[in-house]
Amino acid sequence: MSLRRYLRRQQWDEERARELEEHLSQETADNIACGMTPQEARRRAYMKLGNPTTIREEIWKMNSLVSVEDLGRDMRYAVRQLWMNPGFAAIAIVTLALGIGVNTAVFSMVNGLLFSSLHIEHEQRVVEMGLRQNGANWQPQLSVPEYQSLEGQTRGVFSAVFADQYGLDGMTTAGNQPDRLFTDYVSGNYFDALGVKPALGRFFKPTEGETPGADPYVVLSYAYWSEHFGKDPSVVGRQIALDGKPVTIIGVTPKNYRGLSSILNAQAYLPMAMIVTIENTPLADFNKQSNRSLHIYGRLRDGATRQQADAALTVTARDLARDHPVEERKTELRAFSLLSGRLTGSLDQDNSFATVSAIFLGLSALVLLLACVNVANLLLVRATVREREMVIRSALGAARFRLIRQMLTESVLLAVLGGLGGIALGLVGTRFLTSINLQTDLPLAFDFSLDWHVLAFSAAIAVAAGAVVGIVPAVRLARANLNLVLREGGRGIASRGHRLRDTLVTVQVSAALTLLIIAGLFTRSLEQSEHADLGFNPDNVVTMMMDPGEIGYDSARSLEYYREMLPRVRSLPGVVSATVAQSIPMGLIDNSSDTVTIEGYTPPTGQSQPTIGNNFIGTDYFETLQIPVLEGRSFRDSDDEKSPCVAIVSRAMVKKYWPNQDPIGRHFTMESDPAHPMQVVGVAADAHYDDLDHAAGAYFYAPYAQHHVNSLLALEVRTQGDPGAMAPAIERAIHTLTPGLPVFEVKTLHQALYSPNGLLLFQVVAGLAGVMGTLGLMLAIVGVYGVLSYVVSQKRGEIGVRMALGAQRGDILRLVYRQGLWIVGIGLAVGLAASFGAAHLVRSMIAVSSTDPLTYCGVSGILAAIALLACYVPARRAMYVEPMKALRE
Amino acid sequence: MGRTKKEELLLGTLDMLILRTLVTGPAHGHTIAHVIEHTSDEVLQVEQGSLYPALHRLEDRGWVSSYWGPSENNRKARYYKLTAAGRKRLTVETNRWESMVEAIGRVLGNAGRVVD
Repeated sequence: MSLRRYLRRQQWDEERARELEEHLSQETADNIACGMTPQEARRRAYMKLGNPTTIREEIWKMNSLVSVEDLGRDMRYAVRQLWMNPGFAAIAIVTLALGIGVNTAVFSMVNGLLFSSLHIEHEQRVVEMGLRQNGANWQPQLSVPEYQSLEGQTRGVFSAVFADQYGLDGMTTAGNQPDRLFTDYVSGNYFDALGVKPALGRFFKPTEGETPGADPYVVLSYAYWSEHFGKDPSVVGRQIALDGKPVTIIGVTPKNYRGLSSILNAQAYLPMAMIVTIENTPLADFNKQSNRSLHIYGRLRDGATRQQADAALTVTARDLARDHPVEERKTELRAFSLLSGRLTGSLDQDNSFATVSAIFLGLSALVLLLACVNVANLLLVRATVREREMVIRSALGAARFRLIRQMLTESVLLAVLGGLGGIALGLVGTRFLTSINLQTDLPLAFDFSLDWHVLAFSAAIAVAAGAVVGIVPAVRLARANLNLVLREGGRGIASRGHRLRDTLVTVQVSAALTLLIIAGLFTRSLEQSEHADLGFNPDNVVTMMMDPGEIGYDSARSLEYYREMLPRVRSLPGVVSATVAQSIPMGLIDNSSDTVTIEGYTPPTGQSQPTIGNNFIGTDYFETLQIPVLEGRSFRDSDDEKSPCVAIVSRAMVKKYWPNQDPIGRHFTMESDPAHPMQVVGVAADAHYDDLDHAAGAYFYAPYAQHHVNSLLALEVRTQGDPGAMAPAIERAIHTLTPGLPVFEVKTLHQALYSPNGLLLFQVVAGLAGVMGTLGLMLAIVGVYGVLSYVVSQKRGEIGVRMALGAQRGDILRLVYRQGLWIVGIGLAVGLAASFGAAHLVRSMIAVSSTDPLTYCGVSGILAAIALLACYVPARRAMYVEPMKALRE
Repeated sequence: MGRTKKEELLLGTLDMLILRTLVTGPAHGHTIAHVIEHTSDEVLQVEQGSLYPALHRLEDRGWVSSYWGPSENNRKARYYKLTAAGRKRLTVETNRWESMVEAIGRVLGNAGRVVD
């Protein structure tokens, strides 16, 4: 039936009325012509035609959208039903809201990490270049010469190739303390290629960013502009200083553009080559073939495919290897899709986000399943109560199909209300997730706000949940013999439903067990990692970062500053020892590594020189972190820029490259500093720097004074008492020396371990899994309790008879418990099997074994105990049934 | 009602009869009912109550179209007119009807012999 007719049917009906009236008057006229009296003629005409209203009704119905109207009627009825049973409605809606809320929160997180828009033009046509050597992991960093070759050789597939590089700089505006900025040095075509338009002023010209020092311009991010300049439109043209160098503000980015990473948001953009001027990078370093710190992106030409891009990149890589046999040995290039939620790490490890997401979506789906089962059970009980109503409606002519639809409408209404509640709860949940403290002063932010993706997802699962919870009672109703029910006096349907209900609760118990075991495994992993031997002692250490470059110091003056600052800090009361280092364990800034040539070590054929992690440190480093120096000596003040270069290597490095040899006195050379071979003067114990789970790899330390190191360093101080409490005194000591120097990332080493590189993931995952496990447990307990309570209430008569026949209370207790034990026992068995499967899937993310017996036994035991406790309440009620009273009912 | 034997219309044949009636030209509901009854020598009795819903259905399917025109006693009546699609439909229905009648006839004929 067409909608047009439906909308026009009022008019149609009037026409029909006239037509029928006309028919009647003609028939009457005919009859009069046959000799009848007018009254008789009209009566006959009516008799022959039938009731005009009935005919019109029939036609009206033909013109109606039956389903829509009935739906409206069903909906009104459903609302009335829920209104009349507020308790039932509230429990069902809250339960569904919990399930949907968890899913909404988790999905908004996944959405934020994986699917959130970067607000650029045709996002899916932009790719990020990855590079790998020797078949290692794909890295997103490339060098400036690589960028130039790549841009020149891939014009056929990319309409634009553009690049950026992150920096941290101090910004000074007239009369203010320097403020530290997370900056992004971009190629001149960056914004054009992304199709981003300035909110204010202009962006860079394509040629800007090519010549160091030529384009002293800065574009502010919208967020920074609103926070620090109060959205003042007159900032364009204003001059500010970055690391002491004057630059002019030329524009502001649009509000929704927050860089190519939705997590790490740059606060200011500068032309790429300005990094040479602002951060005092030697030009030779900037232009070095192997100095890989640029992210390179390409916009695919219309019609060009990713395969074509990869083919062009392969050719580029081959040419690079031919022209630079040392630096580009075994280099491969490939295009990757932009992933907004990427934080750090290599390109092909990004699926760890996807894995975490999949796990959480799976876990939250389990919670929803539990919630649905509870509500389905509630509806089943209600279906029993409403049997009479259904029978009567059926007897009054309601088609079974209509009754089923009515039930489904009610459950979908429940789900819609639950869905609204769920979205509200999800909002709270995402607020919480967004507020997770990342333990860093970097502008890192998770944006898990609700967008239409999330709302669509929540709406979809709400409707699905409604259908799931409604289908169970509806199917039962469909199968039931209503006439039989009527004759049996309304006992029929429900009493045959035990098995279904038992099965549902068994599913609940097993799902809850799975949730709890996964949560348990993550919690145990967190605990184990917290107490893991890291190779250094994180107790009583406070760290903070500073960069004298931000107040305009050059390298020499920065070095001088650190030499003056350290003794002042060491002399503070309560300080045991102090040192500086380029990076801190699990830190996000300046974790470096270098390709090294090792004396006495030849890589196996086909492999190039190894890349080894390193740290540039000051004196007292090993004392401060309490890393034992096993052989040789640690660094001294005399190991400075004038003396021969020295290094201390980790035991793992000795084992790997000088097995069974004395490493002291041997030399190795960093590719970044080939002019200064380093002599090994000591061997230190292994320590974890990058991650907690894997065995510590080869590592080496060199004095920061002997190499060109960024002036951004971390001060690490071991204290006698609470390290956090010492921080203000240390900052004061720094500021008496250099009043304007920004000090940031002030935290204890324990706090620092909870970084995204360290324990944070475990912490967040364990916390989330714990919340879901607890919810699942609650829902399952309600399920077990509900079913047994119902069974007891149904069996009152039987229990009464048994007691009258001499059954003891203990017998009754056993009777009820037997059923409870079956449900819980089967649920646990199935749940254990499911948990093994689920744990196997997450095995790469946990620090304990995926079959950790303690977790399995402990969690099963706890769940069994709580479930049996839940059985006790109804069992007790059964025990105290008054036989006479029960029999009389 | 005086008339001796009246046959109720077979289910589904009303549509066909209406279409057949309209082959001779547009007509309004009253005329259609009378034409069917008269041409069948008063054997077929159109249930007038189902005539109008049927007309509505036919119009909905595009087999007839309707318009308001003057009736015999100079009043306005709703006229129905066969459309091209309706004409085609009539052929289909008529063929189907004839083959069915033939088939039923054969079955009954055989049955007659068996009974004999």
